[in-house]
Amino acid sequence: MRMPRAATGLWVLVLAVTLATTALSAVAFFAERMHKALSSESAAALAADLVVEQGKPIPSAWLDQAVERGLQTARVLAFPSVLFVAEQPQLVRVKAVEPGYPLRGRLAIENRAGEVSQMPPGEGEAVAEPRLARLLGSDRDAIQLGHRELQLSGRLVEEPDPSASLFQLAPRLLVSWVDAQQSGLLGPASRARYRLLLAGPPDAVQAYRDWLTPRLPAAARILTAADGRPEIDTAIERARRFLSLAALCASLLAGVAIMLAARSFLDSSLDEAAILRTLGMSSRALLRRHVGRLLSLGLVAALIGGTLGWLLQEALSRWLGGELGTVLPAAGWRPVPSTLGHAALLLLGFALPTLWSIRKVPPLRVLRRDLDPPGFSRFALILLALLAWMLLVYWQIQDLELAVYVGSALVAVALALASIAYLGIRLLNRLRAHLALPVGLLGIVRQPGLVVLQLSGFGLGLSLLLLLGIVRGDLIETWQRSLPADAPNHFLLNIQPSEELSLRRRLAQAGVADSGLFPTTRGRLVGINGQPVQSEDYTEPRARRLASREYNLGFGDRMQADNRLLAGHWWQAGEAGFSVEEDVARLLDLGVGDILVFDVAGQTVQAPILNLRSVQWDSFNVNFFVQGSEALLRAQAVPYAAITSIYLAEGSEGLLAELSREFPGVSAISIAPLLQKVRAIIERGGRAVEAVFLFTLAAALLVSVAALQLTRSQREREIALLRTLGSSRGQVRVALFTEFGSMGLIAGVIATLVANGMGLWFGWHFFGIRPDFGFGNWVLGPVGGAALLVTLAWLASRPLLSQPPLRSLR
Amino acid sequence: MDVNRGEAVAILGASGSGKSTLLGLLAGLDQASSGEVRLLDQPLTEMDEDARAQLRLGRVGFVFQSFQLLRGLSALENVYLPLKLSARRDAREQAAQLLREVGLGQRLGHQPAQLSGGEQQRVAIARAFAGPPEVLFADEPTGNLDQATGKQIEDLLFDLRNRHATALVMVTHEPRLAERCDRILQLEAGRIA
Repeated sequence: MRMPRAATGLWVLVLAVTLATTALSAVAFFAERMHKALSSESAAALAADLVVEQGKPIPSAWLDQAVERGLQTARVLAFPSVLFVAEQPQLVRVKAVEPGYPLRGRLAIENRAGEVSQMPPGEGEAVAEPRLARLLGSDRDAIQLGHRELQLSGRLVEEPDPSASLFQLAPRLLVSWVDAQQSGLLGPASRARYRLLLAGPPDAVQAYRDWLTPRLPAAARILTAADGRPEIDTAIERARRFLSLAALCASLLAGVAIMLAARSFLDSSLDEAAILRTLGMSSRALLRRHVGRLLSLGLVAALIGGTLGWLLQEALSRWLGGELGTVLPAAGWRPVPSTLGHAALLLLGFALPTLWSIRKVPPLRVLRRDLDPPGFSRFALILLALLAWMLLVYWQIQDLELAVYVGSALVAVALALASIAYLGIRLLNRLRAHLALPVGLLGIVRQPGLVVLQLSGFGLGLSLLLLLGIVRGDLIETWQRSLPADAPNHFLLNIQPSEELSLRRRLAQAGVADSGLFPTTRGRLVGINGQPVQSEDYTEPRARRLASREYNLGFGDRMQADNRLLAGHWWQAGEAGFSVEEDVARLLDLGVGDILVFDVAGQTVQAPILNLRSVQWDSFNVNFFVQGSEALLRAQAVPYAAITSIYLAEGSEGLLAELSREFPGVSAISIAPLLQKVRAIIERGGRAVEAVFLFTLAAALLVSVAALQLTRSQREREIALLRTLGSSRGQVRVALFTEFGSMGLIAGVIATLVANGMGLWFGWHFFGIRPDFGFGNWVLGPVGGAALLVTLAWLASRPLLSQPPLRSLR
Repeated sequence: MDVNRGEAVAILGASGSGKSTLLGLLAGLDQASSGEVRLLDQPLTEMDEDARAQLRLGRVGFVFQSFQLLRGLSALENVYLPLKLSARRDAREQAAQLLREVGLGQRLGHQPAQLSGGEQQRVAIARAFAGPPEVLFADEPTGNLDQATGKQIEDLLFDLRNRHATALVMVTHEPRLAERCDRILQLEAGRIA
């Protein structure tokens, strides 16, 4: 049975909303699960959801409050101590933990029998890091820690929170909390750091944080997954941005599909509306009737879409979890109301302005079907839709900057597409006055308004699809390449100036390349522009810590390859000055030209800031928040030791042992576990974007279908008429292929230009990487665009070609 | 029923008697569920959709009550469309000539929306005679027009038909128009009375 025309239009719209919400909710559900997985990844890096750290024991009130709120707790304390190894003192960093440790992440200890356990050492036991275990020797089974003699029960294979800072000199010794308390080493002068680890439901953790923050002394600090390590933060932030971009593209494409479908709905509703007007229905009632239909069907569609989206992401998560060998955290219900809200916003922003003009349908239309109501201009329609979409972006990802940038870029793209389409049609119109155009091209010039809308919608869809293709392929690849297999996995610290040459020679002998030596020293920021620095002057907790903590000051005339100059200039040799990392500069309100004064072991080091720079922390290069020029180092005779990073292949631990013998003052620390974590995040992030990309692909396909749907009823009549006039199936096909092939080709060329430009700009601006575009894009866009439209047109016209023409003409 | 070469037949009948259905079947625009239809000595009922279209190309013309012109195309383009389909080299010139014959020489570039109902039907008639056709099927050709315009269209249609010796099968409910045909078939409840 044939449906009435108005109903056909509505079903198109319902399909668009269903598919749109399927894509949107799947992205939202999935993104939430990925976010949870990534957060738990970084929670694992803290061994907890929240950590409170200070230089004094944790007050029992803090602990009691946490227990009262149903949170899991474990206390950890770390302090430096000395063990005697073959009569030689060996500095170790002792970490004492309570039995529940770790609350998040994995601890692995290999006992003497070679069995791996996840239990922390019990009372009277100690576990040594492999490097320390080697130094102690395999026959040694006990150590003396202060007053306590402890049994060496195994080797520390994996520790979720290896260190609070990369600048750790000594190997790790893990002991029980009780033994540390009884060791007699925790006097008032000890340099112990105390941590309270907390874990539990996010709301409870947040409530505890809110309770604690006003009670926190200035010297204490709260660490969460979000402000854990800069290396992991950067990786998670990038993964989030990639995902956001993918979700953005999907939502916008869905919107475009809805806009095109709304136009179909309007076109098919006009006749009925005109009849209702002649029967005396008011314009307000007419609008209410249609908007009511739209919203109620939208609600049903959103519910169906939300359910489908949930099922889809469930399947996807299982697949992805299987690939990664883990189970993603369960999806919450949080995306459900927001999915309904998204659907409503999409309908109101993308469909309502189009439908608005139904109020003005001329009753005369019952006599003359070619009378259309006046509506918003196309420009206004696009603008209103974009406004709604930017609201959606802000709601969905809370990144206004990204929304504004992408929004304005897309306005430009839509306008460019519309103008090119308009110019193309004008050119064809000129030709049309002088020669008989092929039937296919006549299809384009016949309805310039609709074709401009179709071309803009399809071109936009294709641009986003290609952009995401580039992001997915090239950007992710570039991101992964930024952390190559031979990225430095060890830092060598405390290299004295007299050892520099011989150490480098020794490394070269062993075939190990170093990243260059950077003189470093520790200093406290004591003055800015002649004013003393006091942490009370700052309100933000991180700024207060920066104002009171010691900095690792690095010196060198070379800017690291992963740094980017944001303001000022990089210094010439001989120029004395500082370079400051952007976050530190923002938190402390520093700018180029400000004079910084550091106290380095009682000596004052003073120079102006010459530039600000961003740092790619997940590159694992040697990087500093504050770096000084070599001239500054020499001129002010700053005492220093150097640092370098090296890559050691697995199994080269022997070299480390040799180095520690030959250069006893030099410390080596391994960042391999950290590297592994960042690699896991990149891997997961990349895969998540790939998965989200599939939804965007579906949304782009939907846009194309909706674009075709726009002219479906006219096309049906035209095909019937052409068949009546005697045209063969082949002739109709050639006409359709010419029309849609040329539209696809034009849209494809513009989309490729736009996507490459935007990809380049995005990569640089938002991800700090320069994508390397392949040649494939340039072929894929135009050819793919043409092929896609032609295929869809062919599929849509197939049933029409074999049915008797009279059915469509009636 | 048979329609001979060059003959004009009118099909008369009340609304819903099946006039337009019969016309659609005779022209091969619809498929009969039983029985046989032959057009220009070809068995329509045994042909597929493509073969029927091929048969119509250049040999069969149509005039509809609702004109069925393509929106957005000029009068000239609407007329040269079937000529392009039969790959005529001089499609444009021939279409212009046909439009001049129906009195629209000054309106070649106008689009359907810019033309009156009578003018739109003239364009449709020019398009129908673009072949020129051996058979012309007309479905209530004056049904949407006022009496005076209807009379003009009627004259134009019969004039062109005579000039090209085209057979005419016309559905109408106007006895006066039917009387201009050679033969009248009266249809009642789907049967020829």
